[in-house]
Amino acid sequence: MKLKNILSPTLVKVHLAGNTKQEIIKELLDLLVADGKVLDADLAFHDMMEREKTMSTGIQHGVAIPHAKTKAVKDLVACIGIKPEGVDFQSLDGEPSKIFIMTLSPYDRVGPHVQFLAEISMVIKTPHARARLINAKSVEEVLSVFGL
Amino acid sequence: MSHQMMVLVLQLGVILIATKFLGTFFSRKLKQPKVLGELVAGMLVGPYVLGAIPLPGIGPLFPVIAGSSVPVSVQLYGISSLGSIFLLFNSGLETDLPTFLRFSGKATVVGFGGVIVSFLLGAGITVLLHPEVHSIMDPEALFLGTVCTATSIGITARILSENKKISTPEGVTILAAAVLDDVISIVLLSVVVGISTVEMKGGSIAWSGIGLVALKAVGFWALCMVVGILLAPKFTKGMKRVHSLGIIAEVSFGIALLLAGLSELAGLAMIIGAYITGLALSQTDVAHMISERTKAVGEYFVPVFFAVMGMMVDFGAMKSVLGFGILFAVFAFIGKLVGCGAPSLLVGFNLHGALRIGAGMLPRGEVTLIVAGLGLASGAIGPEMFGVAVMTMLLASLAAPPLLVATFKGGSGYKKSLAAKEEPDIVTIELDFPNYTAVDFVRRSLADGFRGEGYFISSLEGVNPSWQIREDEKVITMSIVDGTKFSLTAKRQDEQFVRLMLTETLAEFQQFTDSIKTMESPDMMGARLLINMFSDEDQQESRSSGAGSSPRTKKR
Repeated sequence: MKLKNILSPTLVKVHLAGNTKQEIIKELLDLLVADGKVLDADLAFHDMMEREKTMSTGIQHGVAIPHAKTKAVKDLVACIGIKPEGVDFQSLDGEPSKIFIMTLSPYDRVGPHVQFLAEISMVIKTPHARARLINAKSVEEVLSVFGL
Repeated sequence: MSHQMMVLVLQLGVILIATKFLGTFFSRKLKQPKVLGELVAGMLVGPYVLGAIPLPGIGPLFPVIAGSSVPVSVQLYGISSLGSIFLLFNSGLETDLPTFLRFSGKATVVGFGGVIVSFLLGAGITVLLHPEVHSIMDPEALFLGTVCTATSIGITARILSENKKISTPEGVTILAAAVLDDVISIVLLSVVVGISTVEMKGGSIAWSGIGLVALKAVGFWALCMVVGILLAPKFTKGMKRVHSLGIIAEVSFGIALLLAGLSELAGLAMIIGAYITGLALSQTDVAHMISERTKAVGEYFVPVFFAVMGMMVDFGAMKSVLGFGILFAVFAFIGKLVGCGAPSLLVGFNLHGALRIGAGMLPRGEVTLIVAGLGLASGAIGPEMFGVAVMTMLLASLAAPPLLVATFKGGSGYKKSLAAKEEPDIVTIELDFPNYTAVDFVRRSLADGFRGEGYFISSLEGVNPSWQIREDEKVITMSIVDGTKFSLTAKRQDEQFVRLMLTETLAEFQQFTDSIKTMESPDMMGARLLINMFSDEDQQESRSSGAGSSPRTKKR
């Protein structure tokens, strides 16, 4: 899977305004909606929050991967948001989440989104890469971490 | 023509029934490998025992075919060859290619050791015990030495396959060494025929001709291996576009037949071409699916191969050379046990492994008869020495299966220090569940998820229920350990992918358990099912009112 086919400058936001999980998800979803990738924004938000109820997607080291399966998209879509101050995302290590990788995928396919996240995780598993993301001043800086 | 076909069909019917009965009897009652029963079935119904009895309107069902190196009809021999192609094609598919390649160097040492020691012992014992043979260069000694060298890969492959041992270090070493054995035997036979001709008729040995035979055999083997390994993944990738595993399996077997024929053309046995095709395809994600399909068809043909092998045993030819024959066979055994076992000790196997490899290289088959037949036809050996070759084949075929099964019991045959060094970089993820139902739910959900992504899933034999999940070079093993532990093993480079797939499955599992909480209690459901069962009037009442959910039974 090529990350450049999924990510583009319009799908990255370096200074997220939201201060809660709900606000962050809404803000990231707006990026996807603005890019015309979501058929039904309300449904996508609902499915995303339902998924969060099942299992929080805040992982560790400031990384969160909010994701859900939904009828609101036809193909895998993704966006990236950065909040250097951090937000409580009920992460596994209790630390505030600063890097958000959001994906939405259709019900029938789980693989593309798993493959996408696997590739993203390979990039941001090092402290150096995560620090570059958190300190990024521009969208281009964020994308450059992923070699884009 | 129609008579010949009628006889062939009758022969096949008798062979199938006899092999199935005796194969089952040997495996279930005598606890011996099935193949032994199939060989014995062939001996019993074949041209030298029951098959010789004339039947009204047909004559003997299995008449001895004069002037041929094999005593059965060309048609029957053809069907049996098809059986051997099925067998070796599947053995190739079941072989782990990386392990095969890793052990091929060791197998070369083992193969050469087996050929050299067996040849010297076979020729030596002939010189020692046969008053008319004075030198190891005597044509009779040379032919009997060569008789000892060729390993019949079929019997061993069948037993290794039945016991799921093909991809063990010993299994791949035996198969690679047996393949090499065939190449060496062909070259050796050319040398022996050359020397014998000179010894008997004078002149000089045509070394250039012998060199050409060797070059052809080795070149074909090497070329097919390289081309096969490189092309197989591309072939299956292209074939997947037809969206039919059946077609992929059928075309693959077609290629195996083509390569088997070309192999014979290059002077090698047909089974070598079939094995190479299977081996090349073994690295692809559809290998298991192809094997599943061709194995099912092979079940009809493989017993014919072993029965025909049994039919080659002419008990009458053995009478006059019984004592020498037994002694010769014992030396032929020692030749392989020591010749293959001792080099195994030098290349990383322990005594256990060396014994397994020696036992695996014991069986002799049709190549033995072909060599002896050539010697007989050229006048290098007489009919009594042909009988010795037959007896060697018989005793080796009967002794090898139980010995092989017995030696493969117990621990690893590979030295621990070396085994640890060759461990690939793999990770294991384990999760504990409260019961089998829960772990099986997760296992099924995960399998469905992978299947949806185009992965092929096949069950594996083993102590614990295990499955292989495969797509191209990505291989993941999924197991349920001790009934409640879920285990996933993958290469480190695929770890992230596997962890995320499992996380998705667990999210589904969470949704499932949450939904369970909202359902009516199963106790209540059960009560509702039983509620009116024991009272006719209540049942009628509830039916007429349409209430309840008690089950309705059909009355006829």
